[in-house]
Amino acid sequence: MKSRPGIDRNRSRAPHWRTGLLAAALLLPCIASATLGQPEASVRADATQLKGSIQATDLANYRVHEIQLSSGTVREFVSLDGHVFAIAWSGRSMPNLRQALGEYFDPYVAALQVTRSDHRHVRVELDNLVVQSTGHMRGTFAGRAYLPQAIPAGVSLGDLN
Amino acid sequence: MRALSKILRIAALTSIAALSACGGGGGGPIAPASGGGSPPPPPPAVANVLTVQVDPGPVPTQGAEINTLYTSVTVCVPGSTTQCQTIDNIQVDTGSFGLRLVSSAVMVTLPVETVSAGNTLVECTQFADGYSWGSVVTADLQIAGETASSVPVQLIGSSGIPAAPGTCSGTGTAENTVAQFGANGLLGVGVYAQDCGPSCVSAGSASDQYSSYYSCTASACQPSGTGTLAAQVTNPVTLFGVDNNGVIITLASVPAVGAASVAGTMTFGVDTETNNKSGTQRVVALDPDIGEFQTTFNGQTLPYSVFDTGSNGYYFADSSITQCTGNYAGFYCPSSPLSLSATLQGENVSGTPVGTAYTVNFSVASSESLSTSEPTYIAFSNLAGVLPSTGNTSLTGSFDWGLPFYYGNTVYTVFEGYTSSVATGPYVAF
Repeated sequence: MKSRPGIDRNRSRAPHWRTGLLAAALLLPCIASATLGQPEASVRADATQLKGSIQATDLANYRVHEIQLSSGTVREFVSLDGHVFAIAWSGRSMPNLRQALGEYFDPYVAALQVTRSDHRHVRVELDNLVVQSTGHMRGTFAGRAYLPQAIPAGVSLGDLN
Repeated sequence: MRALSKILRIAALTSIAALSACGGGGGGPIAPASGGGSPPPPPPAVANVLTVQVDPGPVPTQGAEINTLYTSVTVCVPGSTTQCQTIDNIQVDTGSFGLRLVSSAVMVTLPVETVSAGNTLVECTQFADGYSWGSVVTADLQIAGETASSVPVQLIGSSGIPAAPGTCSGTGTAENTVAQFGANGLLGVGVYAQDCGPSCVSAGSASDQYSSYYSCTASACQPSGTGTLAAQVTNPVTLFGVDNNGVIITLASVPAVGAASVAGTMTFGVDTETNNKSGTQRVVALDPDIGEFQTTFNGQTLPYSVFDTGSNGYYFADSSITQCTGNYAGFYCPSSPLSLSATLQGENVSGTPVGTAYTVNFSVASSESLSTSEPTYIAFSNLAGVLPSTGNTSLTGSFDWGLPFYYGNTVYTVFEGYTSSVATGPYVAF
């Protein structure tokens, strides 16, 4: 378990479940306002309310907000000028990408309809958006979405997970 | 993969016009594997052998499906022997659990499951690329000679229910039609009996924003527990009267250039009949919590690895292999075919490796070259997709042994909590 970040292996157990419910309910507005390409201000405001559910880590060229959901983890990568340039997720189910991707969600879905995958793997590369996603029922789901032109200097794709 | 499919489709139309020009070897249907380490089972003593095949799928004119395994299932109204329908082009999937049918392919009227008076049980099935939304119905099933009664089945795209709520549709694209889904249905025969399990039973899960199950009136849906495990969409093999502890999938070998189709079988039960004995095999225990195991590849330990007929290629991260571009982006395009190997080992519920580690060899060819050199082919044993090289998240800590792993192979899947002469599931052996 220790070697597997991002997966809540206790998901089916009641105590963890109930704790997660509260966080999930509170997180909806947070994720909605912490959208790809948007300012991070609302994330910071919600962090106080969410207490342990969200944690920010400052790195040299960006900041990561890690949000614990009942079903896994969502990480939001914020540039020093205060914009979300990438989102990564892992857990037992898919996150709500409509909220996380914001204005990029509709182009993402449109691209999926042209390049539909095998239900298990997604790789969408648009001029201004890259989405990678994988996952299995009752297993693990994981993925990331980023704005290639908005990645700050000094940040590598390997950092975005 | 659809990108590859679309390219393939365009090329296929051209090729059909000049079919006689496609005389190159290996294009025809291929008999089930008879050589190479896995002897064919003896003739079945009972009707527990289902014919399966890799073919272009239900709508080849809109894009042939690549490396997709299909079969047929007979569906009856519960209790009836006359109100029945055999539905073809149902994908065989060891990476999911339970039968899903696209409603437009279903002509019989199947009763819906209810949560409470006036409220029907509806499911949002999540995939990496999106969701399927539809009622849970019950059906009697006949699969080969095996039968199961009143099986909970998802009827994808069913009528008479509200549209998918935002918590469902927010995960990606809708996959509610045959064209969107790439099949008339999905036969999930992976290691679990139910498609969600204990976490979806209780009313407590009703507030989960990513719930799989919903309780719907004619006008509105709310996340809902299923009340019982038995109400969930269920792997029908576990409901057979006999031969219900697992499945054995045997597929023909595929030449390096690919094939136009692949024949095979899915045998029900493991060590329950004369034709489904375990024999000598390599056993990989799956983590009972997530159904995954450990692959070691290029010195990296990948604890979220899966066996999955529903994946159309091998999927892994290797930054040293040239990636395709353009319409083939997301797949590997090495300048010449590569011979690679990886080590597979079981793991327990803590993610700790257990049992023997086995080395498996596999090949990776250029997806673009494969598709363009034989445009009518839809089965490739050396197709591999790219997982990102990042840190040790579940996106990158995975090696997906997709359908190519099953070509020229006999693969045993034994369900969670069920026992063969070799071990108790969940495990996969080959």
